[in-house]
Amino acid sequence: MRNLKHYLAMAALASGPAVAHELTPTYPKLTPSYIPGVLSTHVVLWNARQDIGYYKVDVFDADMNPVSFIATGGDLKKVDYLGRAHIEIFVREEDQDKATYICTQSKLSRGAAQRSLVASNVCSKIR
Amino acid sequence: MKKVLAAAVASLAATGALAQTEINGTVDSKCIVMTDTAGVFGNPSPNMLTTDPQNGGVQPVIRYDVIAADFYKAVISYPVEFTSSPALSDVVNWTGDVNVSEVSDTLMSDYDANKITYNNTHEYNMSVAGSTWFKISSEADYGFAKSLPAGNYTAVVMAECIPL
Repeated sequence: MRNLKHYLAMAALASGPAVAHELTPTYPKLTPSYIPGVLSTHVVLWNARQDIGYYKVDVFDADMNPVSFIATGGDLKKVDYLGRAHIEIFVREEDQDKATYICTQSKLSRGAAQRSLVASNVCSKIR
Repeated sequence: MKKVLAAAVASLAATGALAQTEINGTVDSKCIVMTDTAGVFGNPSPNMLTTDPQNGGVQPVIRYDVIAADFYKAVISYPVEFTSSPALSDVVNWTGDVNVSEVSDTLMSDYDANKITYNNTHEYNMSVAGSTWFKISSEADYGFAKSLPAGNYTAVVMAECIPL
């Protein structure tokens, strides 16, 4: 009976629409880049939200204050539905101790009528 | 006879080749945020928009999947402003709440009791691996029983997943 419940739950989840936002790895590391004095790391964003096409990348310190960074291709990423974005983040060596979180926030478009929409923000923590 | 044997050997070889096809995968610690149900505002009276199902609304439901325990906190904020609306000349009074609606593990049942609440934000320590569903309620009351101007209204629930 327990197995049947699990099966039904899994079947319900599997048949539902994919509406997920994921950022990996959870704990990326900053390593020296090819530019002297600049460190870099790599994260992968997965977009399974059909209602979202763009994500904003940000780097924050431990108190969620912004830290200067550069992301390959800019900090606003177009990610197709069920697509992955490989994002290279560059941070100055002097900001190494400050940079704590890399966050990706979904950007909602205007126009949906009388709806309470959900914005997702998933972060990774630099170690 | 030789042809039959050759065909059999070829068939075995082909089967062997297929058996060696691998599917690789890794399970990392990660957090996935899913919008299970998109919310909708009901308009039961001219001065009110609400997600209360008894008043024609739909409460948004957000699911968090956490692969490893004690790696993440879920931070959910109900809206306190419209992201798009007609021009409003009076103040909007916002109320809302966030509650755990379903869990995949009974150990998550104390999430609501242990959450930290400040302003419009509710913080949950995801101390158990698995899936948790959060239901958000939101209500906007306009002025002192003043009618909301006709038009489209949008408000956003923010669902964050932050590593500890």
